[in-house]
Amino acid sequence: MSGVLALSPFADSVPLFVDTLGAFFRPRTLFGVLVDGVAKAALYIMIASGLTLIFGLMGVLNFAHGSMTMVGAYLGGLLMVLVVGQETGDPTRLLVFGLGVVVVFAVLAAFGGLLEIGLIRPIYDRPPLSQILLTFGLTLILDELARIVVSFYGLQPISEWQAAMATKPDVLGQQHDLVVASVSGLKLFEIACGILAVVVIWVFLTRTRYGLYVRAGSEDSEMAAALGVDVRRVFTVVFALGTGLGGVAGILLAWDPSWGASVPLAVETLLPAFVVVIIGGLGTFRGTVAAGLLVGLIDATMTWWFQNAIAFTGLPEMTIFLILVIVLVVRPQGLFGVEEVGGH
Amino acid sequence: MAISPSDSADLTASLLLSYARDHVVHLLVIAVLAAYPGIYAIAVNSPLSAQAVAVLPRVETMVAVLYFGLFAISFDFVSGYTGYLSFGHTMFYGAGAYLVVLTANGKIPFLSASTPFVLLLVLCGLLAVILALLVGVVSFRLSGVYFAMITLGFSQVLYVFVRDWNYLGSNPRDGVAVTGRTAGFEIGIPGVDSASLAIGQLTGDTAELLGVVTLTTAEVSYYMVGLVVLICYFAMQRVIHSPFGRTLIAIRENEERARAIGYNTFYYKLGAFAISAFFAGTAGGLFAGYRRSVTPESGFYFLTTGDALLASIIGGFGTLAGPLYGHLFDESVREFLSKAGSGGGLLPYLRSNLGQGTLETVIYNGMTIGESIDVFLNGRAALYVGIVFVLFVLYVPNGLLGTVRGRLNGTVAKGFPMWFRQRLPDRDSDQSR
Amino acid sequence: MSLLSLEAVHTYYGDSHILEGVSLEVDRGEVVALVGRNGVGKTTTLRTILQLTPPSEGQVWLRGEDITGADTHEVADAGVGWIPENRRIFSRLTVEENIHVAVPEGRNIDAARERAYETFPDLREHRHRDAGTLSGGQQQMLAIVRGLVGDNDLLLVDEPSEGLAPLIVSAVADALAATATETTVLLVEQNLPLALDLADRFYVLDDGQVVDSGDTNEVDDDDERFRRYLSA
Repeated sequence: MSGVLALSPFADSVPLFVDTLGAFFRPRTLFGVLVDGVAKAALYIMIASGLTLIFGLMGVLNFAHGSMTMVGAYLGGLLMVLVVGQETGDPTRLLVFGLGVVVVFAVLAAFGGLLEIGLIRPIYDRPPLSQILLTFGLTLILDELARIVVSFYGLQPISEWQAAMATKPDVLGQQHDLVVASVSGLKLFEIACGILAVVVIWVFLTRTRYGLYVRAGSEDSEMAAALGVDVRRVFTVVFALGTGLGGVAGILLAWDPSWGASVPLAVETLLPAFVVVIIGGLGTFRGTVAAGLLVGLIDATMTWWFQNAIAFTGLPEMTIFLILVIVLVVRPQGLFGVEEVGGH
Repeated sequence: MAISPSDSADLTASLLLSYARDHVVHLLVIAVLAAYPGIYAIAVNSPLSAQAVAVLPRVETMVAVLYFGLFAISFDFVSGYTGYLSFGHTMFYGAGAYLVVLTANGKIPFLSASTPFVLLLVLCGLLAVILALLVGVVSFRLSGVYFAMITLGFSQVLYVFVRDWNYLGSNPRDGVAVTGRTAGFEIGIPGVDSASLAIGQLTGDTAELLGVVTLTTAEVSYYMVGLVVLICYFAMQRVIHSPFGRTLIAIRENEERARAIGYNTFYYKLGAFAISAFFAGTAGGLFAGYRRSVTPESGFYFLTTGDALLASIIGGFGTLAGPLYGHLFDESVREFLSKAGSGGGLLPYLRSNLGQGTLETVIYNGMTIGESIDVFLNGRAALYVGIVFVLFVLYVPNGLLGTVRGRLNGTVAKGFPMWFRQRLPDRDSDQSR
Repeated sequence: MSLLSLEAVHTYYGDSHILEGVSLEVDRGEVVALVGRNGVGKTTTLRTILQLTPPSEGQVWLRGEDITGADTHEVADAGVGWIPENRRIFSRLTVEENIHVAVPEGRNIDAARERAYETFPDLREHRHRDAGTLSGGQQQMLAIVRGLVGDNDLLLVDEPSEGLAPLIVSAVADALAATATETTVLLVEQNLPLALDLADRFYVLDDGQVVDSGDTNEVDDDDERFRRYLSA
């Protein structure tokens, strides 16, 4: 018995469990975990929504999506590092951030559009595997190019870019008292950005003509074409928008100490993005938002548990992948998915 | 027409001959691979030494090509032949590798640290089979992207687990090394010392051949690992060419139809998954036996599967042997452009042959030739391999071996002799077989 | 000059040869029925016209213009509407949104919508519902309306009565008959009496080839000419 217990990573946690449970349900703790979870959710949703739009319409699982986020982090970081000085005040810094969002979105959307036309369009009629392979190859190239450029300018590609992190306004670095607990400004900012992103995408999808075409094309692209929708152009536009969105998520991450601009950011964001997109149901934006919230909250809860009770560092990450596996076993089409999408 | 005894002797002879003919390419490939250390040794000591050192992969690298090639072949066995992308395949490789290291460190209950390595390799395979059955039972209810993602999910769960479980070693994030066993891992007949040779760069055996040539530890490792890989390859090849293998291909081409004919495709897929896991586990065992250490990244991270995928695509998806060549290409480029320059590669060659003046020539904005090589070539193999990979996906979707087979209308082993005979001018026209 | 003509069209799905040299013509203002057993290539003929499955040989002409190999949306923009088999409405879009997709850019959406609701008042009532929640008959009405609001010169109608209750079939038939007074229709229909009732002319398709054609006035539904090709 003791042998089995010694093998368990949770060995030292057993006597503490009841006490910790009590501590977890204190309002202070719950509120902190909630804010933390929603902030994480905001990031996850931003990382994943571009992926979802692209998959929903074209059935392409874009392995290069994380690389777009990474490029966005560096590009946005570069812009902020160039403009922001030590003396720059908070409002200006926020303004530069807003400018960065626009620039990153524009540059990456253009890049995404070119990629779609040049590389992905020729292989739509091949099995879905080809598109996974192609975008997988693109990540190898993009990550290595980023590594070349970054080290050329004397930065360490694998560690976070501190100079970009330092352009963060002071107000975001501080703690603020809110209701029952003190909350970091950055988390509130991330939540605000996440809400804004969701609203913008929601309006695009439901209130614009192009959004209508995207939703119609996601369901039945052949029928949409037969009704006069230039589906190929819609594909290009959506690939561009999705890529741009991935980049915008990157610039936000460049300020977050637990992410930061680095080359491995590409892979670090790709995996959670996959998880969120699949749990929500491939190709449904509503599902992605719900799954992002679910994963964010669970992540925050597990992070708290590992910090306070369970001496297993990998707890949050492992739980996220466990949820992925469980959802796929119990409800393969995801929380909001429709059976036929993605071929199974 | 009755068959007389002499006819039947003729028949046997011709069957043997045709068997040998069918395998002539296999024999050729094996012969070239077997001769490689010798070729390398001769080339390195020839007048073209500098060029040979720069271009040819070292024997140490070739050992890695063999064991990782086996992993890539096993990946192709399930992914290329059933069409189900096993994106978590590295979990089998990692399971094998960790089993070897942990057993040697006495961390596995009921398994002695001195368990014979050959037995351990089989256990690696069996462990992977158990894992594959557990994962496969739930995963094969899905297909397409979902299958790829659920296997990825399983392997990532295991990745985090081995990365953060303190039981495995003092610092599991940095991996675990063999500390409990100083002797090398021996491949051969267990218990018979004269029929076993240890592998490993430092702990491996050297051997004398015919009293003339002394084989280094790397060369011994190369042959011993190669032997295991060869056996595994032929085992998988037998399965693919059996009715079982043909059913797998039928599933890949049209699963609905295979099911309609009456095959229980679920069991076939699960079987293929388990078989492929067995060899992936064995490959992981070889890897750990040779390297004597394993990290969470090399064992369980999804990019390790990515390397196998890369090898399969370049070599030829669904060709079984192709991934070995694909990985040989990958490793060769990596070594040629390696940053450290150990054992050759481009940079040391240029340094010693180009002269300081050339290297310091400024080509653009204060950047010298030497610097630009450093920035754009050294350690940048992933960039060029990635470009080649994308080009292959776009323009050579069947990969190297697949394309050659397409040209020869069949496997190279069967097609090449046919192609060759057709080009022989005066032979009897007995090509009706 | 006919509105639509197919000239020796050959179409493949992968390796299977579906259309083996189909030629047919549809004149402006006509209703033409395409009849034949299941799997003889009727739906494929419509898909070939739309260039959803472009022909590997032969030409498709629209108003004397060669549209072979054009993009499907270009064919649609040129005034060809499709009311497909199984309706294929966008189930996660509302009724209103389904109609919007079909209205060409730059046209008046409100007018198009009004016209749709006048044709089938039932739809107005459900205009904010997800189309997937409608009954089969309502979905068919929506599919027909989508073909109407595009201001198309030619409607390709595929099995409009399939899977509908008799009462609904007659409503659908009425709507199609009304449509046919304004537009040209190429109709694929299993229900032979209905097809002959609506159409001016017919083509019989068998094994990817046109085997018979004529005026619907010349025949009735158990004519020898049909029995040979339509009995199962």
